[in-house]
Amino acid sequence: MSLLVIAPLLVAVTTAVCTLALGRRPRLQRAASVGGAVGYVASVSVAVWALVLGPAAPGAAVYQVGDWPAPFGITLVLDGLSAFMLTMAAGVGIASILFSVRYVSRENQRVYYHPLFHMLLVGVTGAFLTGDLFNLFVWFEVMLIASYVFVAFYGTDHATAASFRYLVMNVFGSALMLVAVGGLYAATGTLNMADMARRLATPDAYGIDPAPVVGLSALLLAVFALKAGLVPFQFWVPGAYTAAPAPITAMFAGVTKKVGIYAIVRCYFTVFATASVPVDLPGLTAASPLGFLAPVLGAMGVASIAVGGFGAVGRDRLESVFAYSSVGQVGFIAVPVAIAAAADPAGAFRGVAIAAALVFALHHALAKGLLFLAAAAVEDATKTGRLRHLGGLAGHSPVLSGAVFVGLLSLIGLPPLTGFFGKFLAFDAAVRGIASNPGPSSALALVALLVGAVLTILYATRVWTSGFWGRETAAVEVASADSGQVAVLVALAAAVVLVGVGFDPVYRFAETAATAALDSEAYVDVVGLNGGDRA
Amino acid sequence: MTTTIMRTTARVTVPVVLVVAISLFLQGHNLPGGGFIGGVLTAAAFVLIYVAYDLDYLESGVLGREVEHGTSVFEQRTVTAYRRILLAGLVVVLASGFGGMLIGDPFLTQGYVHLEGVPIYREVELASALLFDLGVYLVVVGSVLTIVSVVSAE
Repeated sequence: MSLLVIAPLLVAVTTAVCTLALGRRPRLQRAASVGGAVGYVASVSVAVWALVLGPAAPGAAVYQVGDWPAPFGITLVLDGLSAFMLTMAAGVGIASILFSVRYVSRENQRVYYHPLFHMLLVGVTGAFLTGDLFNLFVWFEVMLIASYVFVAFYGTDHATAASFRYLVMNVFGSALMLVAVGGLYAATGTLNMADMARRLATPDAYGIDPAPVVGLSALLLAVFALKAGLVPFQFWVPGAYTAAPAPITAMFAGVTKKVGIYAIVRCYFTVFATASVPVDLPGLTAASPLGFLAPVLGAMGVASIAVGGFGAVGRDRLESVFAYSSVGQVGFIAVPVAIAAAADPAGAFRGVAIAAALVFALHHALAKGLLFLAAAAVEDATKTGRLRHLGGLAGHSPVLSGAVFVGLLSLIGLPPLTGFFGKFLAFDAAVRGIASNPGPSSALALVALLVGAVLTILYATRVWTSGFWGRETAAVEVASADSGQVAVLVALAAAVVLVGVGFDPVYRFAETAATAALDSEAYVDVVGLNGGDRA
Repeated sequence: MTTTIMRTTARVTVPVVLVVAISLFLQGHNLPGGGFIGGVLTAAAFVLIYVAYDLDYLESGVLGREVEHGTSVFEQRTVTAYRRILLAGLVVVLASGFGGMLIGDPFLTQGYVHLEGVPIYREVELASALLFDLGVYLVVVGSVLTIVSVVSAE
């Protein structure tokens, strides 16, 4: 039991209430919001260092909310995987709120912007921390309710339509998730993830039949893929990303999408991996739910890379390019996860592939956060986001353009930036996947990554040459970038460079996270399922 | 809808609905009911008044105040009050969660005491969960009534 586990959640929820209470004092509200975000970063750093990474850290810790013992109460678990995701959320969150204060108009900031921002953070934090399947559903809802409002925030036709699509999709997704969670409860008799892992490992001892788990996990996979914006559930992404305020889009791309990826990794590799269920579908036979995950998620990832890449090449607005690029990049995260699912459970390779996915997720959070914010700064300065109205920005505002340049290069994957390691590890996983599991599907994964990489070079180059090189257009000539916004961009660009230059500790962190994701026994031990022992 | 039948029905049902709402709220921590359902019922009683009379009736008829139609529905006094109720509810929920932490228990830990020898009731159970429920009740009443008054004003 450590208070540090729940600290980030409490900081975020307290900040949300404080900013709501300060609605009539805009200056204080902004200060409280930024202060709360700083507090969030501090609590995450302290918790991660003291519990996971530090020399005297136990590696993982648990918090039983309301003093109800697991598996009866709600358990919060901070292990390597949660720590990695929380660190990412804290980094993108602070950049996003600092940018918001300078970017979103004062009037709009007063309309519940800050409370909702922190509620979004609350939902994300809860989803990363919870060790209970139903509670995961609840945190998804908290996150979504804040997201709905943000997508509809500007109240334009485009925003209302995008928000409605987003709402319908996700209400349907939530219903599916509820069905799946209920089904899993009926099949295994528990909602606690650790308890479920334990019961699925030894089904006979608990008198349960794990056979329905594969189908129910497939329902969950569909919901998580919807949250992550993987093909065929990607169509809400471009609309929602272009409609929401830009700092929130950075949060959507950098953090809430990763919640979907996190949930896939956590549920499949920590919980469902312990089950041994024969899967026998047309064209697919396997011995565990992971055997089902591998081809399905692989196909989704490959399709996302293709749809995102080809979609991004033809767009005219900066935000749309990055929104489609975001769909493609999530494919780059999904493919290593699928390769890990196909890998030998006993080998070390599975952990390597998960670590590759996590590093790519971190790269995407930083680089895409930077690029979405930069697109907003460009639009704020030039009053247009259309590439055909832009040109010559590199000469006009070199610092802003420099930050964009770093982001684009990281997207392409040039060393020593973070993106290089993300792509390098993804390719490494794909090549090793072919070696350990030769066949057309492994080869297809590698080809998809190659095509995706080429498409990334294509659209990144196009953005740079048409928007930042060449002669200054009329819109650019009168542009003046806000120095506060540029400062946030520079800080993010510096983070992209620094994570790449000092990559060794980051990779060790990712390895710790991957190990935690795969070690179901350690997870069960940490949660300490001693509920009922007292009786 | 401000017919005599509607008004008479509202006059009879609103007190009943409110009493049921409060009883559901009070028993909610160990019987069916709770802050959420109590709050929804209370809001329903107010909505009934809104339907039977009109949006300004609460201020002009009940509180005997002049109704100021400002520039935006958000600035109206009743709506401001509802939003304050919502905020107060959130504060109460948070405070009841932190309460247990002051004596070293985890967040949201609840406790209860049985009081013996109380006049009329003889035995009363005081549960800290009721405080949490009160917060939920206030959040629900505040948010539902804000939504109803803003949407129906349009």
